[in-house]
Amino acid sequence: MKISKLKLNHFRNYEHVDINFAPGVNVLLGNNAQGKTNLLESIYVLALTKSHRTNNNSDLIQWKHQNAQLKTLITKDSGQLNLELDLSKKGKRAKVNHIEQAKLSTYVGQLNVILFAPEDLSIVKGSPQVRRRFMDIEFGQMSNQYLYNTVQYQRVLKQRNKYLKLLQIKRASDLVYLDVLSDQLSAYGSEIIYQRLKLLKQLEHWSSAIHSTISQNQEQLTFKYVTALKQTQLHSVDSIYEGLKNAFQSERNREIRMGTTVLGPHRDDLKFQINHNDVQTFGSQGQQRTTALSVKLAEIDLMKAETGEYPVLLLDDVLSELDDNRQTHLLKAIQDKVQTFLTTTSLSGIARDLIHDPKVFQINDGSLRVD
Amino acid sequence: MQYPEPIAKLIDSYMHLPGIGRKTAVRLAYFTVNMDKNDIANFAEALTETKDKLRYCSICGNLTDEDPCEICQDPTRNQSEILVVEQPKDIMVMERMKDYHGLYHVLGGVLSPMDGKGPDELNVRSLIKRLQANEAVNEVIIATNATPEGEATAMYLSKLIKPAGIKVTRLAHGLSVGSDIEYADEMTLFKAVQGRTEI
Ligand SMILES: Nc1ncnc2c1ncn2[C@@H]1O[C@H](COP(=O)(O)OP(=O)(O)O)[C@@H](O)[C@H]1O
Ligand SMILES: [Mg+2]
Ligand SMILES: [Zn+2]
Repeated sequence: MKISKLKLNHFRNYEHVDINFAPGVNVLLGNNAQGKTNLLESIYVLALTKSHRTNNNSDLIQWKHQNAQLKTLITKDSGQLNLELDLSKKGKRAKVNHIEQAKLSTYVGQLNVILFAPEDLSIVKGSPQVRRRFMDIEFGQMSNQYLYNTVQYQRVLKQRNKYLKLLQIKRASDLVYLDVLSDQLSAYGSEIIYQRLKLLKQLEHWSSAIHSTISQNQEQLTFKYVTALKQTQLHSVDSIYEGLKNAFQSERNREIRMGTTVLGPHRDDLKFQINHNDVQTFGSQGQQRTTALSVKLAEIDLMKAETGEYPVLLLDDVLSELDDNRQTHLLKAIQDKVQTFLTTTSLSGIARDLIHDPKVFQINDGSLRVD
Repeated sequence: MQYPEPIAKLIDSYMHLPGIGRKTAVRLAYFTVNMDKNDIANFAEALTETKDKLRYCSICGNLTDEDPCEICQDPTRNQSEILVVEQPKDIMVMERMKDYHGLYHVLGGVLSPMDGKGPDELNVRSLIKRLQANEAVNEVIIATNATPEGEATAMYLSKLIKPAGIKVTRLAHGLSVGSDIEYADEMTLFKAVQGRTEI
């Protein structure tokens, strides 16, 4: 899929933008703090209805304004599609082909993006939270069932945590209701874990192939999903459901004592291993970078396999962070198939010979000019 | 310039209503100023009567001007079925459908610890007491909304009631199944809720 047109009104430091993009590589060139990341962010927000760097919609609206509008025309194999997002202090409205969507899950998934920024190297190094977020965002784009289950899960989790707090301070005592909440959480949680395992298996397949090429067949990358449940409990949605339910039963006293839900997909993690050693603990910085790059590139293939279309790739200041070998792999992987937006402060650190027909935009203080 | 005090008060009052922002409140206030004196008197009386004359039915929790309510007093209604709803307005929806001839019970919401609603804050005990006192009831139909909270409330009631040998069924007449409510803004939600009541 390709982004053909982008229109912005009062988004971040952009007053108005109305621009056509190239189907191949679009280079966003400019000094610091001119609006390069803001432009990538607008595409990301159009895809997911939320930003990768703030949870607060108001941050996205141009200062001193009440609303921001984002519109895009995307071209897919199946035809063209208009997406529109209106942000205000009160909330957001999303339209597909001019029709307002009442549910997040009917909007998200129309435009698929993969963002790769220097901080994404932290999917290996960072906290488990970073990796859960990674799974939820990527899998949520590929499957609206996954997205639906995570939204419901979070909602039930909040209720359950609140109720456990009440039990902890003895402001509540009804354990029948706790059982109901445990059942409900197990139902949504088992769907999430099952889908994660399924999609991770595929992602692992693509990632290890890429990793192996980059490392010249020296290294084998594998994944390990870390969960409170036993391996034998993971083979079906039903067995995961039973596993979670039983675990909540046996952890009941501890959960009440702590006033919070101690297990479930919101506590799980993902480990990367090279030749069976944990990359986070034992990997060199180079191995960690190669792992992050392999996983990101594998997402492109996975999304293609799951949705039938290549996603749009957003590279924020990341190319100049990679050495020549890794840059070459990245650029070869996207060549002639993946529409890419990349930001940079200069063209010098970039292997330009590997980029066919780039369209270069000069970005200066919230304005965009074709070079 | 400031609004004259009576208009300012009126605007403020209208803004207490759901789905009404400042602009609409101003429009309604100026409209009210131009209304016929008689209509105004009726309007004011209707408003005061909501508090003076309405109460909750001591049996089912419905809003009523006589206690017990008309439905609870009606001997021709099927005494063996109780339909459990979240709000009194849900009873009106069911009644308009003219399909159901049993009795009702109003919970006054759904279980939601986040909103300070536990079993004790809903009319759950009164339902159980009613079932214990009334041998005739053999089916309880739960018609809470299809939100996670509505589902949890239904499961909870079923766990309490089933052991007594009473049949518990579930009627889904709610919003679309598990809608992502936190995503819909106020207005969309308002419309969705309105739309639902017409089904
Ligand atoms: N809501 C906003 N309204 C107006 N300007 C904003 C807003 N948010 C950020 N900015 C401005 O955007 C600029 C940062 O843009 P960014 O895209 O992050 O820069 P870079 O080009 O380095 O990627 C800063 O000058 C900041 O003041
Ligand atoms: Mg930047
Ligand atoms: Zn009554």
